[in-house]
Amino acid sequence: MSTDHPFIQMQRVMLRYPTGKTALSGVTLDIQQGQFVYLVGESGAGKSSLLKMLYGGVRPSSGILMAQQTDMREASERRIRDLRRRMGIIFQDHKLLFSRTVFENVALPLRVQGWKTERLIPRVRKVLEYVGLGDRLWSYPEALSGGEQQRVAIARAMTANPALIIADEPTGNLDVDTARRVLDYLMDLNRQGTTVIMATHDLHLLESHPGRVVQMHAGSLAGDYNGQ
Amino acid sequence: MANEQIPEKVSPRLPGGFHLPPFGVNQVLALVIVCIALWAVGVLWLAMQGAGQWVGSWQQDIHIHVYLDSKRADQADLLEQELQDIPQVASLRKISGQEAAVWMQEWLSGGGLQQHELAGRLPITFELSIGDERSEFLFSDIRDTATRFGGTVNEDEVSLAQVHDLLAQADYLAWFASLILAVAMALIISNTLRMTLLSRADEIHLMRLMGAREWFVRTPFILEGMLLGAGAGILAWFLLWPLVLGSSAWLVTMQVELNAWLLLPPLLLGGAVVGAFGALIATSRVSSGETSSV
Repeated sequence: MSTDHPFIQMQRVMLRYPTGKTALSGVTLDIQQGQFVYLVGESGAGKSSLLKMLYGGVRPSSGILMAQQTDMREASERRIRDLRRRMGIIFQDHKLLFSRTVFENVALPLRVQGWKTERLIPRVRKVLEYVGLGDRLWSYPEALSGGEQQRVAIARAMTANPALIIADEPTGNLDVDTARRVLDYLMDLNRQGTTVIMATHDLHLLESHPGRVVQMHAGSLAGDYNGQ
Repeated sequence: MANEQIPEKVSPRLPGGFHLPPFGVNQVLALVIVCIALWAVGVLWLAMQGAGQWVGSWQQDIHIHVYLDSKRADQADLLEQELQDIPQVASLRKISGQEAAVWMQEWLSGGGLQQHELAGRLPITFELSIGDERSEFLFSDIRDTATRFGGTVNEDEVSLAQVHDLLAQADYLAWFASLILAVAMALIISNTLRMTLLSRADEIHLMRLMGAREWFVRTPFILEGMLLGAGAGILAWFLLWPLVLGSSAWLVTMQVELNAWLLLPPLLLGGAVVGAFGALIATSRVSSGETSSV
């Protein structure tokens, strides 16, 4: 990745849904590679829409959005798929597959990338050991606590060693201590060079885990503070 | 447990690509239903095979008889000549009243008939051997020629000689029925896979969020459809054997010997093609909701 261009570049990005609702309006924002960025703001401020645009879930209605040097307005489906293979996504509701084991959940991104079973087994085990779930390989997600499920989701997001992790309120349903532990993992990944963009309501986490804070309000950028 | 080894008994069921989805009760039901439909198709084509052999066994022995009233005996030579001039008539034999009376007496086991009296009442008969009974105007030509001289044709024999037309119609109907059943089977498989797709919608959605290619998402379902169809085909073929073996003693008296092996490739391949087609229908509507433009 070239360092001349921002990792993610937004210029007057506007997003209007087919229902007519304007989710984002004139957002201009640059994110450099290796940053840890919090997106904060009230519900409906546009945090999730912005994250969704970053993985190609929705396309900007106008403006420029370049993510990892890909024009997200014009990119082909193939290009979007390539981009998604280079990122990990963590959801508030985990989006774990409850009919599959922890191992199978975490192995999914590697399978999508064409890894053979023999090759992915040590990688998945290593990642699950990293998040402290090395002994739960063959458990099913429903047997895990909320915090453990979120750690599985983190393991799944990081297993393919992505350059970017997008996290949409990953601590939303967790108690303070568990949320801090989740943040510890994300911060650690960030220290290893992964860019992390995380939407959150938990402002208290910003004190213990400082990062760049982008505040949104009613679909627009309301503030940009560097807490590092 | 940091150094836990992956237990050998556990085989990860990883989705996508060439990994088949789990086989559940829906698939078993579809297998049974498609098997029954394929069995019906197999029975249909076995019947066509038997009918073809049966007709072939006696059709070359068919002769068409043309009758001329003995009062018109003066026209007999002319009629004989004209009948012989019809190109598809291979040979013609004139049967005298006497010969016919002898045959009839034997057929009726005496019957108390006076041979001489009977011979006088019987018409003059021409026995025609046919070279090509499929010729379009042959029987019309024979009928026209006989009528011109006041003669008549044995229409029952004409109907038997023309049975190939019925077979051709039956063949057409068999293809039509097979096609309808194939479409029904494809829809059954499609519906089954659709249920599987719906039950695994989260997984498919997630794979797409991770950048899975379309073939990676769809291949397991297309493989499953093919496997369902081919499996049902083999099962249906096995179920044809009791029918073939059970009827063989009766059919052999009609010079019919059914060959079920001939149906194995069509049932196997046909089932697989129908299954793949059903899977394509099912997966064609699995659109990605995560790349929409707004």
